This record gives sequence, C-alpha cells and structure tokens, in this order.
Amino acid sequence: MMECLEFRRQAGADPQHLGPEARQHAAACPRCAGHLGGLLALDKRILAALQVQVPGTAAPPRHGGAAIAVLDHRRWMALAASIIGGVLVGTLLWVGGPRNSLAQDLIEHLDHEPEALVTTIRPEEDSVLGEVLERGGIRLRSGTPLVSYASSCRFRGHTVPHLVVQTTDGPVTVMVLRNEKPASPVTFDEQGFAGRIMPAGPGSIAVIGADGVDLEQIAARVLAAVEWLDD
Amino acid sequence: MNAPLAGKNGEAAFATLCNELRPDLFRFAFWLARDRSVAEDVVQEALLRAWRSRDSLTEVGAAKPWLLTIIRREHARLYERRRHVTVPLDELVGSESPELAAVEEQETLDVRRAIFALEDDYRGPLVMQVLLGLSTQEIADQLGLTQSAVLTRLFRARQKLRRALGGTVDGEGE
Repeated sequence: MMECLEFRRQAGADPQHLGPEARQHAAACPRCAGHLGGLLALDKRILAALQVQVPGTAAPPRHGGAAIAVLDHRRWMALAASIIGGVLVGTLLWVGGPRNSLAQDLIEHLDHEPEALVTTIRPEEDSVLGEVLERGGIRLRSGTPLVSYASSCRFRGHTVPHLVVQTTDGPVTVMVLRNEKPASPVTFDEQGFAGRIMPAGPGSIAVIGADGVDLEQIAARVLAAVEWLDD
Repeated sequence: MNAPLAGKNGEAAFATLCNELRPDLFRFAFWLARDRSVAEDVVQEALLRAWRSRDSLTEVGAAKPWLLTIIRREHARLYERRRHVTVPLDELVGSESPELAAVEEQETLDVRRAIFALEDDYRGPLVMQVLLGLSTQEIADQLGLTQSAVLTRLFRARQKLRRALGGTVDGEGE
C-alpha cells in the first residue's frame, strides 16, 4: 500500500495522471483525497493564468477549444498566403483505427479527469453546472445527490456532460451519453473501477465508481434524476 | 520516407496545423520569454523555420513536439542575440506585459505573478504539462532530462506556487 508521503510526491508532480496505486490510495485516504482536490484546483487556476490572450484572437480560447485565430501579422499572412488551398479539418486525421469498447473508453476518460476521486461536500458552482446541463440537453430533478464536479467533455466525438456525484459510498462519476445506445445494460469492473451503462432517453447514462460501490442503487437514483430535453 | 507536410497537400496541412497550434505556440513562447513582443517574434521565426524544414517531419502526430522544439531553439537564439537586461519583476509585470496588468480577475493576476516569478527550470516544465498537455516523459525528451528530474521540478514548481499563493505546502524540506 502506498504511503501518504509518496502519494503526495506523485500527486504534486502530476496530479492529473495518477497511477493505479495512487488512485487506490486516494480512494482509501480522505486526507490525501482532499490534498489531491487542492492540487487539481490549483492546476485549474494555473491553466487559467497561463492562457494569456493570443494576438489576433477575439478572446483567449479555452484549453482544447475551437477558437479560430485571426491572422494579423504581415509575415504570417505572407506565409499563409503562399499556401494553396483552404482549411482542412484536422479531426479527419483522427478518424479510423479500431475502437475500444465503451467501458474501456469511459475508464480511459476518467484517467484524464481525476476529479472523480475527490470526496468533498462542496457542490459545483451553479453557473457551471447549469451550463454543462444545458449543453448536454438535460435537467436534474430534485433529489439528485450532491454534484461536486461538472464539465462538458469531448467523448467519442461528442460533447457530453461529465458529472461527479457524492454518495455515501464515495464519489461516483456520471457520464450522460446521448449518442451511445447499448441494447441492454452493461456492467463492467476494470482497473479498480466498477461501472454500469444503462440505456436511457435517446442514449445512455454511465455511472462509474470505485470497486465496492452500490452501483445498482446509485444508477437507479441517477436514472430517476436525469430529465432529457428535446434537441 | 513519408513526409506528411511535403508537396501541395502538405502545404494546406501545414497551414491547418499552424493555425490549430498557434495559440499554444504563442503562449509557450510567451511563458518562455515573459515578453509579448519577443514571443510574437519567436513564433514568427519558428514558423518560418518550420515551413522551410517541413519535409523533415515524418509523422503528423509528432508535429506538436517538433514545433515546440523549434520554438525553444528560436527563443534561445533570440535570447542569445538580445542578452536580456534584468528587469525587476514588478516593473516587468506592470509595463512589459499588459495582459498581466490588465487581467480582469485579481486571482488570475496573482497566479500569473507567481508563475512569472518561478525560475525558468520550474516554469518551463509546468507550462509544458499544464498548458500544453505534455506527459512527463515528453517533457523529459524536450528538455533532455530524466523523467525523474522532470517530476521533481514539477513537484517543486507547484510547491512554490502554493507557497506564493498563500496555501499550505506538504513535504517541505524533502
């Protein structure tokens, strides 16, 4: 079992890419989970601070966002002008190749969103949650467990709501997948995570937590809480 | 040898690539130089160099690290040429970098000041990791360091920032 000091060394160096042992430690040690939460919050502040305005852009784009730079420098224009053809969409480069299973892709996504590990009683800001839900075309009914994290994430080519709800079994990740419709519920247990993907509305909802969480009960609560809005 | 940016199709691909990566490249240059005008010069020169040597890129997936390397080298060249004059941090923040002085949120300004004050050895890896999304191994490859050295620098960079921003710091004196 990893010790707290070693965990904090690892988390302090790379909080967004913890190894399996460190993830297990965070799940079992509330103090280190809290420490990790502080580091992840710090990283968000660092990222915001690093995103200085780029010349020729209307506003600083979000990390990974789609803001298009306006080319305003004469030399840059000269360079660009020498290039024949229009603009191709780079995403074409990423199409193709074998696809992972939905469960594998979900776990891989969680590896990049370690907020899923943090136990907290602090709710996500209303404005952030509201925007994520609106973009995802859903509403949450009353009685939903506390949502401590909300983000609009790119997943399998679509922007989907990624929520973390706090339960008595610990934090549970909820991904609302409007564009993924499994024929029947799928349960998985991989890499220290247990998950369940349930057909719902026009697509599905995935709930993922640490091994041992009562997925059945949590999934039922989440399904009851999510209200799908029309496109 | 396959050169994805060579030929006529390569020209359009190069334009697309530069357009997509330009915000990251500018910001990387800015945080290397801590000076907006220097960063703009570095990016322009680096893109021209990249354009001239585009045939040397053999894999599209390697384009970002390839361009970052060119940016770093171009910054080093410019740094050598200019032999930067030492400027007090407050003066630098207030006069040379309007975006630092004009930023709307006080919290963001505080964090920027703290990042500005980090030594190059700590600021560079942190920018590569948090802003550019490079893995610690990719950062090590960029900087010619061991992965372990990169991890240490990243740990200390965050430690210094937390201290500068008034947070509690674990593992001090390790």
